[in-house]
Amino acid sequence: MLPFALTAVSVVFAILAIQAKRLMTSAIWLAGVSALLSIVFYLLGAHLVAVVELSVGAGLVTVLFAFAISVAGDDAIDMQPVINRPLGIGIAVLFVLVLFFYAAQAGYTPAASPELESSLGEVLWQERGLDMLVQIVLIFSGVLGLLGLLAEAKAPLEGSVAEEISARRERDLNKMESQLSEPQEVSK
Amino acid sequence: MLKLFLLLTIGLPWLGAACIWLIGDRRPRLLHAFAVAFSAAAGLSALAMLPYASEEIAISLPLGGIFGNFSLVADGLGILIAAIASVIGCLAIIFATDYMKHAHQLARFYALVLFFIGTMSGLGLSGSLLLTFFLWEITAFCSYALISFHNDDPKAVAGGIKALIMTQVGGVGLLAGALLAYAYLGDYAISTFLAQAGTLPPGVLAVIGFSFLLAAAAKSAQVPLHSWLPDAMEAPTPVTALIHAATMVNAGVYLLARFYPAFAEIPGWSTTVMIVGALTALLAGLMAVAAGDIKRVLAYSTISQLGYMVYAVGCGAIFASQFHLLSHAIFKALLFLAAGAIITAIDTRDLQKMGGLGKKMPFVRLAFIIGSLGLVGLPIANGFFSKELILEKGLESGPLALYLVMLAGAGITALYTLRLNWLIFAGEPRGPEPQHDGLPAMRVSLGILALGTLTSWLLAGGLGNMFAGTLPFHHIEAETTLTVAEHIFSAPATWVAMAVILLSGALWFGRAKLAPLGRIFEPILVHDFGFEWLQTQISRLVRGSAALLQHTQTGQVNWNVAGILLGLLAVLILLARGISS
Amino acid sequence: MTLSPLLIIMIGVIGLLGAGFYGLLVSRNLIKIVVALQVLVKAALVGLIAAGNYNGQINLAQSLALTVIIADTIVAVMGIALGVQIRRHMGTLDVRELSKLKG
Repeated sequence: MLPFALTAVSVVFAILAIQAKRLMTSAIWLAGVSALLSIVFYLLGAHLVAVVELSVGAGLVTVLFAFAISVAGDDAIDMQPVINRPLGIGIAVLFVLVLFFYAAQAGYTPAASPELESSLGEVLWQERGLDMLVQIVLIFSGVLGLLGLLAEAKAPLEGSVAEEISARRERDLNKMESQLSEPQEVSK
Repeated sequence: MLKLFLLLTIGLPWLGAACIWLIGDRRPRLLHAFAVAFSAAAGLSALAMLPYASEEIAISLPLGGIFGNFSLVADGLGILIAAIASVIGCLAIIFATDYMKHAHQLARFYALVLFFIGTMSGLGLSGSLLLTFFLWEITAFCSYALISFHNDDPKAVAGGIKALIMTQVGGVGLLAGALLAYAYLGDYAISTFLAQAGTLPPGVLAVIGFSFLLAAAAKSAQVPLHSWLPDAMEAPTPVTALIHAATMVNAGVYLLARFYPAFAEIPGWSTTVMIVGALTALLAGLMAVAAGDIKRVLAYSTISQLGYMVYAVGCGAIFASQFHLLSHAIFKALLFLAAGAIITAIDTRDLQKMGGLGKKMPFVRLAFIIGSLGLVGLPIANGFFSKELILEKGLESGPLALYLVMLAGAGITALYTLRLNWLIFAGEPRGPEPQHDGLPAMRVSLGILALGTLTSWLLAGGLGNMFAGTLPFHHIEAETTLTVAEHIFSAPATWVAMAVILLSGALWFGRAKLAPLGRIFEPILVHDFGFEWLQTQISRLVRGSAALLQHTQTGQVNWNVAGILLGLLAVLILLARGISS
Repeated sequence: MTLSPLLIIMIGVIGLLGAGFYGLLVSRNLIKIVVALQVLVKAALVGLIAAGNYNGQINLAQSLALTVIIADTIVAVMGIALGVQIRRHMGTLDVRELSKLKG
């Protein structure tokens, strides 16, 4: 019974994370979701994933959020949503209902007779070997991307780039217009 | 041997295109030499294939999966197309060495022309529906890129885009037909399709037949998809002669001829083809009478002659249509190249600024008049034999009304050709003095093509023989050239057509009295019978609806997510209906 | 309709999905959007592990879930890094403002 209760609580946490006014609050609720779910995973027998989820999901990502919020600032609280809240709730609830319909219709018979399953190491490194390879590539590309982003941060540009971009565009447009207005030479 | 020649015919121009692209614009003399050498070699290897024609698959490249086998078949139809493309391509390139002497970006020009020549040969020789579609689209791309070759000229760019979009309409038809055929037969091979077309459900076969007709109409500039061809005249003239007169525009006729045995049984298909052809021949001929630009007159006449070929396919006269395709390729290339020589000599395309050029340009005049003889279809020239063959078949197996339309078309052809010659060569000079009477390389091409125009009808027997031997589904009977000629001269249809041509010639000399009539009809003719307007409306509609839809592209992540979710919901709800029922 | 254990977990999964999608719909802050994405991925994880537990193939489920966690963490890291950079250069994290900069 415990896993069910914990999942239900994690849904509440998730809603709180989404509804939170401050980004930091939101990040902390998210860490809460992660922690609860890692317990659920442990209870369901997924020990490795539980550990990883707790360290990465609740630990690393939360630290990163905290870092980002401290750099980017915790402002922009009172922004009105682009899609107003009732409409957003409506779409989300409709979606939940349709999914629930599917979940209730499904048969829930175990797909195959549970054979003697290979050990986690075998599954991880042999049967899903390609996955591991892809993950390694993914991690490397992630690290490289992050380095690229942070390297640029060392040389912050003067003033707002947005202003500069728009000024540049304006100039280009003017140039094009003046070119267009000149009489075209028609070649044969 | 056949395999080698096949690969050379397609591969040499492509190789040449790559080499020329790599050489770049710095060495124009080398470019000219390379282009001529590669295209001449390709032309020779295409001609060398002639004795080896066979219906067997020569080369097959298994791609696996849904791509099937890409195969090449060197049968009569295919070799005819490949030979026309390579030989006339070679002559057009020889012509271009003078015509494009002072042009910029020669490498781009030659590379695209060579790329086109190889692709066109491949299109003829392809034995797979999917390969045909790919090559079909490459020819459309080359045509677009060459129409817009002078890409600093807005008219050229617009003409290129128009040609691209309108031929794409046809390309979609071809793809749809090919995929449908694959879905039912599990094979892209053209021979399989022709053999088993009868086993397809009639409705499906009809859809394939009409979508191929759409493809052909767009490519061969048939009414109502014809208006891109006159606008394509912004291309350099050798390109016009090659792509928009002699080869690419024939692809539609080729497609119809190739698949005629499969579609002949579809109710209404042959009649539709005949009507499209006859309408095109008549309307385009009328528009040619009113056009004021030398290349536009020739473009309308090309459309009209393509109408003849399409009409012939509708009548079931495959041989006549392909024979006319050969004749037309030669004499129309000659006419366009001669027009190109005139344009470089006086630097204008406006017929009102020509006149009296005959005395200064006797050689070009001779070439142009020989080409005109072919176009009008007067005895000696190749156009006479092929056109009379078509008219005769039309009288034999088509409705009388359409035959009369075609007959009127022949008369109109004579009328506008006479007008064209008159405006260019007769009377007093109205424009600049001509600078030359065809430069040396131009004269070589013009001479060879003029000779071809006068003699290519001698090939009728050989061509018929090749068709009869290698096209098992078309049931063509071989006849010797002599019987064909005898046949034509003894048929009453021929003499009727001659009389009509003479009559319309007389009409030109009585034009003073007809002037009021002309004033009434001229606006309609110049404005393309309203087709231009219709297309403008359609494109405006498309643009308007696109602009409306553009508002949904806010670029905001929230709305994008909402769109994704609602789309997913719609799918789920539709599926749920299936589950619960 | 019997409330089988798997169904109860699935209800939780659907609840998490709903919360995540709601967040994607109404958040204008880039970092908040990353949070919502995280919630969505957690839902997928729970679904995977529950199904593995139910089918007796927990190890397979674990290895798949591991892949998902890694991919998702990289998404989060990149999203956060992008957010920081955008904030530094454009002075805002509002996706509505950012969409005005599209070229």
